[in-house]
Amino acid sequence: MKPVKSIVTACLIIPAIAILAFGPRSDQDLPKDRVIVDYWEKWTADEEAQMREIVNEFNDTVGKDKHIYVRYVSTSSVNQKTLVATAAGVPPDIAGMWDGNLVQFAELNALEPLDELAAEYGITSATYKPVYWNACNYHGHLYALISTPSTIALHYNTKIFADNADKLRAVGLDPTRAPATIDELDRCAKALDVVDEKGHIIRSGYLPMEPGWYVTSTHLWFGGEIWNPATEKFTFTDPKVVAAYAWLQSYSKRLGKDAVSEFKSGTGNFDSPQNPFLIGSVVMEQQGPWMANYILNLKPSMDGLADSKGDDFNLPLADRLKRLQWAAAPFPSAVPGLKDVTVANFDTFVIPRGAKHPKEAFEFMAYVNRQDVMEKLCKMHSKNSPLAKVSRDFLEHHKNPYIQVFEDLANSPNAHSVPQIPIMPEVGTEMNQMIQTLVLHTDVEPLTALQNCQDVLQKKYDKFMEIQKAREAAGVE
Amino acid sequence: MISRLERRKMQKGLAFISPWMIGFCAFTLLPIGLSLYYSFCDFPMEKPPFYRGLENYHTIAHDPVFWKSLKVTAYFALVALPLGMIIALVCAMLLNVKMRGQAIYRTIVFLPSLVPAVASAMLWLWLFNSKLGLINKALGPIIFSAPAGWIESLINHLFTFKDGPFHFSTPGWFSDAFWVMPALILMSFWGVGNTVIIYLAGLQDVPRDLYEAAELDGAGTFAKIFHVTLPSISPVIFFNLVMAIIGCMQAFTVPQLIVPGGGPDRSAYFYTMYLYDEAFINLHMGKASAMAWIQLLIVLVLTALVFLSSKRWVHYQGK
Repeated sequence: MKPVKSIVTACLIIPAIAILAFGPRSDQDLPKDRVIVDYWEKWTADEEAQMREIVNEFNDTVGKDKHIYVRYVSTSSVNQKTLVATAAGVPPDIAGMWDGNLVQFAELNALEPLDELAAEYGITSATYKPVYWNACNYHGHLYALISTPSTIALHYNTKIFADNADKLRAVGLDPTRAPATIDELDRCAKALDVVDEKGHIIRSGYLPMEPGWYVTSTHLWFGGEIWNPATEKFTFTDPKVVAAYAWLQSYSKRLGKDAVSEFKSGTGNFDSPQNPFLIGSVVMEQQGPWMANYILNLKPSMDGLADSKGDDFNLPLADRLKRLQWAAAPFPSAVPGLKDVTVANFDTFVIPRGAKHPKEAFEFMAYVNRQDVMEKLCKMHSKNSPLAKVSRDFLEHHKNPYIQVFEDLANSPNAHSVPQIPIMPEVGTEMNQMIQTLVLHTDVEPLTALQNCQDVLQKKYDKFMEIQKAREAAGVE
Repeated sequence: MISRLERRKMQKGLAFISPWMIGFCAFTLLPIGLSLYYSFCDFPMEKPPFYRGLENYHTIAHDPVFWKSLKVTAYFALVALPLGMIIALVCAMLLNVKMRGQAIYRTIVFLPSLVPAVASAMLWLWLFNSKLGLINKALGPIIFSAPAGWIESLINHLFTFKDGPFHFSTPGWFSDAFWVMPALILMSFWGVGNTVIIYLAGLQDVPRDLYEAAELDGAGTFAKIFHVTLPSISPVIFFNLVMAIIGCMQAFTVPQLIVPGGGPDRSAYFYTMYLYDEAFINLHMGKASAMAWIQLLIVLVLTALVFLSSKRWVHYQGK
């Protein structure tokens, strides 16, 4: 029995030792003479691969010269993971997060201020478009640089517009251009709606809840604000805000809440050939510049192409625009004279507090913010540029033939970034609930829902501030 | 008095379990203790915990979303738990019948429980899609049939509705507050395979002579089930019940994937989803810790009640 026992033990122990000694090493390919910068990013699929291309280029050029190697990791729930890693004292050197988390993290001292590093690299307010620069700053400190930005525009199906030209003309609209006011948008949507005899929506001209990603910003197109930073009070009951959400509810009232709900639940995924804009079941919608990428990949026929590989971005822009079956234009405003209103979002580069190599991390961030690199990345992601200077090549040979629209929107004085409220995630949650209430319960008065939302959020904000003051007084910060 | 040999044995035993003991203390016992402390603190993770007494518990008691999430979880538990147990038991009884291809049927019933929750959630999302999903495609011919049309006409003839005429429509599974929970409950039955296997093991332990004795006494199929099978497997039912209570209170992955944020009117905002959002989205780790302790207390009370009641209905062989 004893020899058998020894043989079995040896069979288990020897391979284990061999694996430990000669087995795979996670750091095997990392260059030994370089500082390793850990970069966590949220992107997956194409966007992840495109950023990897930028990272590889950095590692082969600037990184090689300055002895820096960026280790790029694509991860889900990046903000939660960064937060936990930061709390544990082992954060990444760079985290790619959303703009909505920036103020929340900055308020918690979870981010390194970047003022000195930015000044060293010559990155100033003149580098970025104002809306993006202002959003990266909080309480007088720079907390983030931008990886890619976006603005939001109205996308519309020009083929359906042309096919229904008579209907549009009958309601006093020009079928060759996008609606220019909210009133025109409403008339256009109504004219293009197709509803069967039982009230089921077959095609929707426009539906605020499709895709519904920006419904919490509806008030912007009505000239309203939900937050007054001077008084630190929520202003949901401002008549302009009330008018905005009453307008949003009007679509459920007109089409029927059940029909809207049924239609919405039957729509396909955004990133699929069943995307309602691509299949024409929604004629107009709010989207960012990346939509051009999805159209090209999922329905090249809307680009007038046989397949997604057929587009030649070097063709003259006018020729490319001619064959499109879709177009983008500024989303119309309800207030006369209020033009080019948009939501300016962005993906951020932040350095979490306690990062081991902030200077080397910033070297990479500054590299991505070079005009040539930023334009390459934004072209690949099909987004506008956050930088103040934009090359002619970027505008003329971009994947998105309408990139000029998004650039103009980003430069607009009416471009708005995420409000700088430390409890922003809770604001988003409450607003989405309020909007769902209005859409699903058409008998609820918008003012009542907004007042309720305001009360809940003001209470949460006041409590948050009360705790911060108590912490300050007790010296627990 | 412990002999030297016993002491040496004990030392060896402790040495062998020490990796587990250290791991348990560092990664389970310590976090549990800390979470109790954090439940009395404001703790946004990036700042040190700040003692606030019972404030978190007070906030929770006056938080309508907390009560809503508790109600949603209770609804799920009250419907999904008994139905799931009954379905699992019926499946186990059917699979216990000697027939050709028994092993294949058992495999088929067990297989779904091996599918990762994320993968099955994605499949169910498609199945329940109100326009493209197979479930509504199957329901369509019934809902839009001629008899259904007659019923519609009759209803519209008798009543007037503020929002226009009444029409039957296929359920908007994840967009209608009424249908979200039934959809999630139906989905939960997909994973009964594990419970079925445990029941099956219990059923195979029921002594044959009890059935023979019952047959001699003239018992029919149902009498045998209620007077022999169920009492004999009552310890197994008891075990499954306790596990199911804990499972229902911890329901998270599937609803979080299907209806993040709880869906319309927070109609599927489970307790654990709210706890997660408070901890990792809103960064109220102190409040989330308090919620976790409340959850533990609820589970303890429910389990204690089941244990107390078990004296009446659980029968152990040999006792």
